[in-house]
Amino acid sequence: MIAERVYIKAKTVNEAIHIASQHPDDFCFIAGGTDTMVNKFQGNQTANCFIDLTDLDELKILKQEDEVLKIGALLRLADLKKYDAIAKDFPALIEAAHSVGSPVIRKSATLGGNILCENRCVFYNQSEWWREAVGYCLKCEGDVCIATGGAKNCFSKFASDTAIALISMDASIEVVTAEGSRLIKLIDIYTGDGINPRRIDKKAIITSILLPVNRAFRCSYKKLRQRESMDFSSLTSCVSIDTNGKILIALGAVDPKPILIEGTLNDDKSLLIQQALKKARVIDNDVFSRKYRREMIKVFLERSFSELGC
Amino acid sequence: MKQLKLTINGKQFELLVGEHEMLSSVIREKAMLTGTKIGCEQGSCGACTVLVNHEPVLSCITPALRCDAADILTIEGIASDNNLHKLQTKFIEKGAIQCGFCTPGMVMTSLDFVNNNPNTTVHEIKEALSGNLCRCTGYKKIVEAVAEYSMEQLTPTINQAQSNNLVREQHTIGTPRPYIDAKKKAQGVAEYTDDIKIKNALHCKFLKSIYAHAKIESIDISEAEKLKGVRYVCLGRELPIKFGVLPISQDETAMAIDKTRYLGEIVAAVAADTEEIAEQACKLIKIKYTPLKEYFTIESSLNDIGSEEKIHAHTRQNNNIHKKAELRFGDQQQGLANADIRAKLSFEFEGISHGFTEPHAAIAYWDESGLTLISATQVPHYLHRALAKTLEIPLTKVRVIKPFVGGGFGGKGDPFPHEIIIAHLARKTGKPVRVRLSREEVFITNHGRHPSKMTVEMGVSKDGTIKVLDADIAIDGGAYGSFGVVTSYYNGVLLQAPYKIDNLGFRTHRVYTNKPQCGAMRGHGAVNSRFAVESLIDDLAEKLNMDPCELRLNNFLSSNTLTVGQYRITSNGSRESLHAVMQQSDWKNKYRKLPFGHGIGVGCGFFISGSALPIIWNELPQSTVHLKVDFDGRVVITSGASDIGQGSDTMLAIIVSEVLGISMEKIFVLAADTLLTPVDLGSYSSRVTFMAGNAAKDAAENLKKELLKSIAQKNNINEAELNLSDDRIFSNDRSIDISWEQGIEILTAKRGAVSVSGKYISPKLGGDFKGAGAGLSPSYSFGACIAEVKVDTRTGIVKLLNVWGAHDCGKAINPLAVEGQLEGSWHMGIGQTMSEQMKYYGGLLLNNNFLDYKIPTTLETPDFYTNIIESHDPEGPFGAKECGEGALHPVMPAIANAIYDAVRVRIHKLPINAEDILREMSKIQTEFSDPIHK
Repeated sequence: MIAERVYIKAKTVNEAIHIASQHPDDFCFIAGGTDTMVNKFQGNQTANCFIDLTDLDELKILKQEDEVLKIGALLRLADLKKYDAIAKDFPALIEAAHSVGSPVIRKSATLGGNILCENRCVFYNQSEWWREAVGYCLKCEGDVCIATGGAKNCFSKFASDTAIALISMDASIEVVTAEGSRLIKLIDIYTGDGINPRRIDKKAIITSILLPVNRAFRCSYKKLRQRESMDFSSLTSCVSIDTNGKILIALGAVDPKPILIEGTLNDDKSLLIQQALKKARVIDNDVFSRKYRREMIKVFLERSFSELGC
Repeated sequence: MKQLKLTINGKQFELLVGEHEMLSSVIREKAMLTGTKIGCEQGSCGACTVLVNHEPVLSCITPALRCDAADILTIEGIASDNNLHKLQTKFIEKGAIQCGFCTPGMVMTSLDFVNNNPNTTVHEIKEALSGNLCRCTGYKKIVEAVAEYSMEQLTPTINQAQSNNLVREQHTIGTPRPYIDAKKKAQGVAEYTDDIKIKNALHCKFLKSIYAHAKIESIDISEAEKLKGVRYVCLGRELPIKFGVLPISQDETAMAIDKTRYLGEIVAAVAADTEEIAEQACKLIKIKYTPLKEYFTIESSLNDIGSEEKIHAHTRQNNNIHKKAELRFGDQQQGLANADIRAKLSFEFEGISHGFTEPHAAIAYWDESGLTLISATQVPHYLHRALAKTLEIPLTKVRVIKPFVGGGFGGKGDPFPHEIIIAHLARKTGKPVRVRLSREEVFITNHGRHPSKMTVEMGVSKDGTIKVLDADIAIDGGAYGSFGVVTSYYNGVLLQAPYKIDNLGFRTHRVYTNKPQCGAMRGHGAVNSRFAVESLIDDLAEKLNMDPCELRLNNFLSSNTLTVGQYRITSNGSRESLHAVMQQSDWKNKYRKLPFGHGIGVGCGFFISGSALPIIWNELPQSTVHLKVDFDGRVVITSGASDIGQGSDTMLAIIVSEVLGISMEKIFVLAADTLLTPVDLGSYSSRVTFMAGNAAKDAAENLKKELLKSIAQKNNINEAELNLSDDRIFSNDRSIDISWEQGIEILTAKRGAVSVSGKYISPKLGGDFKGAGAGLSPSYSFGACIAEVKVDTRTGIVKLLNVWGAHDCGKAINPLAVEGQLEGSWHMGIGQTMSEQMKYYGGLLLNNNFLDYKIPTTLETPDFYTNIIESHDPEGPFGAKECGEGALHPVMPAIANAIYDAVRVRIHKLPINAEDILREMSKIQTEFSDPIHK
């Protein structure tokens, strides 16, 4: 009566992909598992086959290659600060990693796992009983979005904090599939569809995160939440300026995907803020209201510009 | 199933585990190491923290099979030989352990942190522990313990001197000491209900209603019954007898029978061989509902409901009003007319959950003696009665045992459906049945603080004398009665102190709604209305241009007086409390003198020290304590009092030790087992120290009398010349000077073991009017708090910097425990003020977990400055009175008043959120042309 479950620790990336192909519609990769296990407990993650990636030592390496720093996707959030190469050139990433979950969670959670963290919504991250009682939303095979009352779009919030810091520093990722490996801009894997928030083959594995080393980013990272620990974000922002005066503004938790605004030091900052506000599809699915979160986008960005001296 | 090899605490295990089994389950259920606790099952509380290959992980979200060949260290393994680990010793010595449920996780997290960060700071420790929730301590003593341990690792010489100092044994009232059970808790061997393994037990799971208010048309359990491993499926009609903690509110059945009244109400229960099978079976049960009109707001339940169906048929009118309580003293109209300045404000409060870290759990089994129910309960006595009633068995056939309990705060103070249901399932199946509620189920079981709305008006004369207080209150009771009738009164009657108010009136409506029921929670009934009154006093002081502390000092009741509603005030440390915090906080130099965005505020409060009237009217003493002493000289205390982490077992031992002049080592406490221990009404209304403490003192004095009589007779001297001290019995002239054991030999000669009894019966108190009994207590505690905040004026986010608190507990029998109670109360009050709320979507609780229900972590908890004020109550045991609830009242308005001082906006809605502050600030912005100079 109770379905057969398996738990497999993959030894290599190829093996992991191979196992996945044997359980095509019923598998889930897990790294730290700190979100996946909670989703499983709540019945949102129902895969019977778990493919544990934590033994893939090849994904725990940090190295500099040409113009990029390659950060192994399985490096844990708590460990990033131990690497001088990150601490020196990309402190915002460490700050972002440090703002995720709790200290013990950060000792399991990985960078790769965090950028793939499932979108969240107060009407979705609930137990099976709860979702049945509310009448199932779009994200769990219902036919209406409870948060907006609409039937077309799911607005579950983008939940990764590290992705916001990474995107503001123009990060790319290396993705491996059965067909081989390729590089993609991190921002490009996010769809903006709350139900299927990532356009990346389910059987693909992100092996590393790549950051450009010669752009001398100066960043300002901020996260809105009720408590200074544990909480998922209600608004994450990261503003970066590189050596060429290029500004990248990334916002999280205010849309199903990260919001990216590009500008330069010469741009009118209030216009950049206007653009950000225009792009962010904030809805009332959070402890803070839509109105307040929009207001805070403005405050955070103004503060960041001021901190960065522009 | 798969084979898993691992080493736990140096011992090798080869176990068969489920493919998706979590490490916590393997450690607890297969390796039988139950020190690792399950608090939330989703990595949000930290109680399950263990080290895997020397790194901390949350074992409740760590797959067991990930840990193949791993080296695992749990709380049980950190000490070598028979010694405690030094960090465990620190936790014990510093009073960092109350209920002890979070302790294993705290210790494991701290241990890893300090080992890897030898040179650390207090802030870093707070940050490291910010994923470990504690609901008892307010973290202060935990952080101190870790900081001291860390310091001593660096400078071991200090270590020696200091710990020698701390373990110095004394046995008098007033010496700070760890709980007598702290060592067990630190070691992880204290057994909480779910840690107790009973052979061959079945597991119970519940099918919960998916409608808030609906008729149950049919239930089909045939598929569930067919599932292999299912032993019994139980429906509501099998348990039709109503129960409730108050005799006047017997309005609940163990399961919904004809209709459901809230989302999550139990509709069916399954006993099966495993939890998983029971859960699976629940999914196979088919229920047809016909939805009824739902009532989710106070307003909708106050109104006439026309032709719709009421929530309960028994309510008097065609609405959902459960209780109307109204009392008026003096003349409010005249009082308003006499007032020179008036203030009237409306307030709104969200519901609050107790947030104890140990989920509800219970085990039931039957044998020739009848039913035994082991449960995480605060009130074994009421549970005993409720089980006998609902299961239709004699009182002689019910035994309730309370093992270690991981916090209650009022939330384990009612008899609960799950307790009755598993008792029934165990009877039906002939097997033990166990249940542990999920954290979501704990939240929807609720019984927490009522969501409330109130309008309160006060008036003062120009010289700053309070002339009048009038309150119109409505509280949202949810689906059932619980303690709600008492709550209705407490909201109003507990406003008659600490200030003298001659014209005081209130009216409270408690309504039923289709939400989980509300009940008693720490500070019961008076927390919200106290917030309102203290906010108004702040407002009136502003209008009077008077310092709000001065206004309060002007109006405090004196000692030995009666309030307007005829409460007998004996000892009263209001004044001393307020003076203490004013001085310590440098109030005079800060109030209205800090820069914009930075503020300081004050609040006061008081609380009952046990209800003078029992819930179930009878002439039993409120507490009876037995002492037995046998040939070995050991004194066994038996008491029905429930230690739920507040340290009442230790309190009883200290009192007996003091009276008999013997060391604590000679005393053994056996508590809260309704077969073995005499009745105590339970741990609620802050009654235990006063009532059980007095009963213990009475019993010890009776034993002393017997002992001295036997020695006096043998030696032919007057008993009055004999003394008991330092484990010796001696006459004034020292002609007799014998050890305790020698004395006991004389006492027990030709007689054997001696048992004596002591009791406490509250004096007759109060006026002769309906409602006069509400809030009557043989004594009252008093206190004050000052809070300091910084408000980010662009985000509205408040940072709480400091809380200075003082509480008059009469006499601190155990100052370490008293401080812990005060700090825990402040922490809980901060939670309600700043972040906690039960958020509903219709009748569905949105934040039914420890991630979304925002209990403050170490990082939101400010520095506490803790002051114990001792007013030596004439009737309290050695002068003691309550300290576990009253301290919560003043901290909440102190914070709100500090926000007012900082940014000049008064928030009437809890929790105070950043958004409300910004909105209110924008309304008055024009008034601040120059924000730097207020």
